[in-house]
Amino acid sequence: MSEFDSLLQGMNLILTPGHIGLMVIGVLLGILVGVLPGLGAPNGVALLLPLTFTMSPVSAIILLSCMYWGALFGGSITSILFNIPGEPSSVATTFDGYPMAREGRAAEALTAAFSSALIGALAGVLLLTFLSTRIAEFAMSFSSPEFFAVYLLAFCTFIGMSKNPPLKTVVAMMIGFAMAAVGMDTVSGNLRLTFDQPILMTGISFEVAVIGLFGIGEILCTVEEGLVFRGEHARITPMVILRTWAKLPRYWWTIVRSTLVGCWMGITPGGPTAASFMSYSLARRFSKNRENFGKGELEGVIAPETADHAAGTSALLPMLTLGIPGSATAAVMLGGLMIWGLHPGPTLFVEQHDFVWGLIASMYLGNVVSLIVVLATVPLFASILRIPFSIIAPIIIMVCAIGAYSVHNSFFDVVLMLGFGALGYLFKKLGYPIAPLVLAAVLGDKAEDAFRQSMLFSDGHIGIFWSNPLVGGLTTAALLMLFWPLISKALQTVLGLRKSQLPKAKSVL
Amino acid sequence: MSHSSDSPALVGTRWVELGLTLFTTLIGVVVMFGSVEQGIGWGDSGPEPGYFPFYIGLLLSAASLGNGVLTLVRWKALSIAFVSRSAFGQVLSVFIPIALFVGAMPLVGIYVSSACFIAWFMWSDKARATPYSKWKIAGISLGAVLASYLIFALWFKVPLDGGPLGEWIAQTVRYFK
Repeated sequence: MSEFDSLLQGMNLILTPGHIGLMVIGVLLGILVGVLPGLGAPNGVALLLPLTFTMSPVSAIILLSCMYWGALFGGSITSILFNIPGEPSSVATTFDGYPMAREGRAAEALTAAFSSALIGALAGVLLLTFLSTRIAEFAMSFSSPEFFAVYLLAFCTFIGMSKNPPLKTVVAMMIGFAMAAVGMDTVSGNLRLTFDQPILMTGISFEVAVIGLFGIGEILCTVEEGLVFRGEHARITPMVILRTWAKLPRYWWTIVRSTLVGCWMGITPGGPTAASFMSYSLARRFSKNRENFGKGELEGVIAPETADHAAGTSALLPMLTLGIPGSATAAVMLGGLMIWGLHPGPTLFVEQHDFVWGLIASMYLGNVVSLIVVLATVPLFASILRIPFSIIAPIIIMVCAIGAYSVHNSFFDVVLMLGFGALGYLFKKLGYPIAPLVLAAVLGDKAEDAFRQSMLFSDGHIGIFWSNPLVGGLTTAALLMLFWPLISKALQTVLGLRKSQLPKAKSVL
Repeated sequence: MSHSSDSPALVGTRWVELGLTLFTTLIGVVVMFGSVEQGIGWGDSGPEPGYFPFYIGLLLSAASLGNGVLTLVRWKALSIAFVSRSAFGQVLSVFIPIALFVGAMPLVGIYVSSACFIAWFMWSDKARATPYSKWKIAGISLGAVLASYLIFALWFKVPLDGGPLGEWIAQTVRYFK
């Protein structure tokens, strides 16, 4: 069956009032968590997970993925109007978005941000539509060593490409792996790392960690900085929308470049945050209006937003085809898939044809729905941020606590959440990244299974990871990625390349 | 607690870095210890359960020690304040109530503890020019609790532990049925 037929089938499946209603709810909730401090896409999705257990997987993934799109859009509202990035990936949007709002061009900045975001997202979905089946088919020939090599590549890319110190990334990642190992061992059935505490028998849920690290940790950081929300006002009229849209074609090259950057960073686990920064710095470097960047340049809003959303959507490509999420939110969704009894990976495309194409079709529709909803509700959500912190904070904390409790109906999880909250606060302040921890916590068991299987095949010889060109190539690429900071430095000194300007530009941001 | 505007530093970043490093090293050691208990070698059916986690623990400890060394290398540069006294007071003024809230949950149930938590948080907001009225506090805290009951327990069938009060209400409802 061609991709087009499958897509039509998927469209057929999702074009019901119920599913479209779920999309609107998902988008609204997403914008809400994107706008509120302390809540973001990863823990928004984690909080909603327990509520989806009674739904069909298609409905559940529509709700969760639309929440993701909504959160990505919501993040730009706070960036532009309040100079507060609601999501880490919209930090780059504040550079030019907020100055534009200060000049009274908030509506223009918002419209440009949302519209270019839609273009980026649709490009990501197109990529997903036409590449996913092929990658899945290719990955069908993978066995355990190949899978482990792919996991290794994902984790090593995180370490090598992260803007955080590599050793701190390793520490965060290993804590995630250790968490995943707690509880029942999937192969032998032994209880591991529980130290005879019955409470640890069920293991440590990644949802609880996500809610604590992102939710409570974020609130503590916000309190410390003593944030006061003093935002600019915006009224989006149809006139402004049309005028902004008329300007967009002028920036076609920026949009294309940002889309490419976004798609690439989304598929490789660079993630939306890295994509938006990179796209912004590239736009500034190549723009004619270079001097105006940082002072309210439209191009400086378009570039990060396009890349952010392109990366956000294409992050689902490796998640669906290989079982490797490209961002923290995708990792949480992947965990959800496993809880619903689905097996992310190439077999998903054969066994769960409806689910996959329902999801892909919903991504087209969901992003268009997002644009309409977000344009219509900007004033509403901006007014939510004007609610005093002493009302919004305890409610957010209550929602987090209930969310953590409802994972296993256990009060111990709420205590764990608090512990992770404190850890998240320290991690944020000391520059430890959180996303690798989540990724490892979700993927830990699968990576371990793949590793043990491989070791069984080879009787414990590590050489199996170079036993054929495919797995050898993947493993070597993983090692290259791991040592990339050292390699690029060595290359620079040897060749004396001018390349050093790129990382410099990044660190300036 | 000092409320002076220049607000002296509570602790240097280097000490917090070192503390966290120690903590993560210890986790690594605990993980290795737990793995050794399960066997980290090669059993009859291939790798034993502790095989993989052991190396995770090892890597965790090694990377943590590496971080510790880096902290010592940058000891002078890291003398900057981690957090000022007043900012940390702010953090504690939120963290301690959360801890109490979490501690009270199993005793009085989710609903009562949540309502009290929100009410206390609003009541203790001294930064406002005019404090919230009693009615506003009661309305918002009870409204939030009611909303969470409707959303979680009623619509999505995720039961929340109501504690003694919840049980009492459930019993009363049953009695009148």
